Amino acid sequence: MNILQSISIGVQRRFGRQRLRKIFLGSIPFAVIIFAWFMNGYMGWFPPVFIPPIGEVWASFFLLQEDCPGIGAIVALDQRCLMSTHILSSLSRVILAAVIGLPAGIALGIVAGMSRPISKFLEPIGIFANSISGIAWIPLAIVWFGVGWKTTLFILLNTIFWLLFFNSMMCVRTVSRVYEQSVLTMGGSRWAVIRDVFLPGAMPSIITGIRLALGFGWRALIAAEMVGGDSGLGFMIFSSAAEFRMEEVFLGVIIISLIFLATDRYLLAPLEKWTILRWGLIWKPT
Amino acid sequence: MPAKLVVTDLTHHYPDEYTGESVHALEKINLEVNEGELVTVVGPSGCGKSTLLNILAGLLPYREGNASMDGVKIQGPSSERGVVFQEQAILPWRSVAKNIGHGLELKGVPRGEREKRVSEFIKLVGLVGFEDKFPHELSGGMKQRCAVARTLCADPAVMLMDEPFAAVDAQTRITLQEELNRIAIATKKTILFITHSVDEAAFLGDRCFVFTARPGRLREIVNIDIPREKRIWADMNNDPRFIEARDKIMRLVREEVLVSNA
Repeated sequence: MNILQSISIGVQRRFGRQRLRKIFLGSIPFAVIIFAWFMNGYMGWFPPVFIPPIGEVWASFFLLQEDCPGIGAIVALDQRCLMSTHILSSLSRVILAAVIGLPAGIALGIVAGMSRPISKFLEPIGIFANSISGIAWIPLAIVWFGVGWKTTLFILLNTIFWLLFFNSMMCVRTVSRVYEQSVLTMGGSRWAVIRDVFLPGAMPSIITGIRLALGFGWRALIAAEMVGGDSGLGFMIFSSAAEFRMEEVFLGVIIISLIFLATDRYLLAPLEKWTILRWGLIWKPT
Repeated sequence: MPAKLVVTDLTHHYPDEYTGESVHALEKINLEVNEGELVTVVGPSGCGKSTLLNILAGLLPYREGNASMDGVKIQGPSSERGVVFQEQAILPWRSVAKNIGHGLELKGVPRGEREKRVSEFIKLVGLVGFEDKFPHELSGGMKQRCAVARTLCADPAVMLMDEPFAAVDAQTRITLQEELNRIAIATKKTILFITHSVDEAAFLGDRCFVFTARPGRLREIVNIDIPREKRIWADMNNDPRFIEARDKIMRLVREEVLVSNA
């Protein structure tokens, strides 16, 4: 008992009591689901065509990757490395859309937030574009770009860009005009105002916007791949379901959520926290 | 002494932010501010004091009348006319030293030279030891000291101050007023100082412009003929010239406040 207690205290010291509690409580629903899933395998409540056994789902990951000749083929998105090719093609689309969409959305949003005429010019079309949620563009995109990466990228860009544009525009508007005026009366140019006032002032909220936009973008991408894609995790789920390979459908869903969870938790949330720590304590937009 | 700032027949209307109705802020203002002079502007709230300052700063476009500096019409902001704002206008994401050096940075003054000048002004306003602090770590008085130093450090020919000490507590205010007087002696800057405090207007001003209720007109100019070196609160409170000027300004402002309330 003494040893157990000291281990427990050690663990609590190392990771923090509140954090352990949070992890513990948060994992209970998952444990319940996994347990029920296991039980279904033994008890046969639902037939495998509805809910495949957990072991088959696990095995299908390796089955899909079975014919893969090696690392080179994985990187080259070889059709023989099915699993990794689906994952990587989804991911690379998100990265490509982020590289194009984030800077464009932020830049235009900042410009629109700074200038009343430009925001009046762009705001209605922005609301129009935003109101048709990203996935509603899919039918049109398929007609325009055909089935394939162009359609999925279009949907993704559409979602990311407008969200970020709006978010950045609003962030810039929260930055007090007095800051702008103070830089202008010290001889600052328009560019100096952007660099020294609007960009740092809007930074914490823009990072939050990036986190949101990528979350929505990821979801839109999966939907777009289902209908208008020829590769990617969304495509994999959809085509496997059509052939009743339910273990692959389950695998796809799990991988999608794991990737989303991992990027949000280990990339975007820390980035947001970092900017808020860096800027937010100093400056919190109200 | 030559006039630094000249305002002739300046009339201004602006649309109200909420109702959109046209507000008549200034009506035929004529005034001059001489080089090296510190003038104060008082008047009831809403009399257009801040409008005048924004026009002089070049932040507000105007159509009727003229505002000029050194004979050149004011048509936009310039580093020649520094502003100390009413609100906290120092940048929250810059440290004290970086805020104070911002104007020099914008002018492209090299780092070494900049740091030297910044440390001078940090000393002048008594912020030694706070160079690396951020605005949220400072008291209200220190923030305004930082704001004054920032404007001074950019070395403008004219300083426009828009109720800069309105938000600090009474004790700090008295100190800041004496400090500003000291700075005015040391730098010989031309200063236009807007306030709603009659005491402050009489304490700081070589002359005090009293404005009428809206639309703002120049009602009267009160001369306060006390040498800068004598302007210390301990002495001023007993100085008959100060008391006379203060009472006169107070009487004028009260009359205007009653008009604006009527």
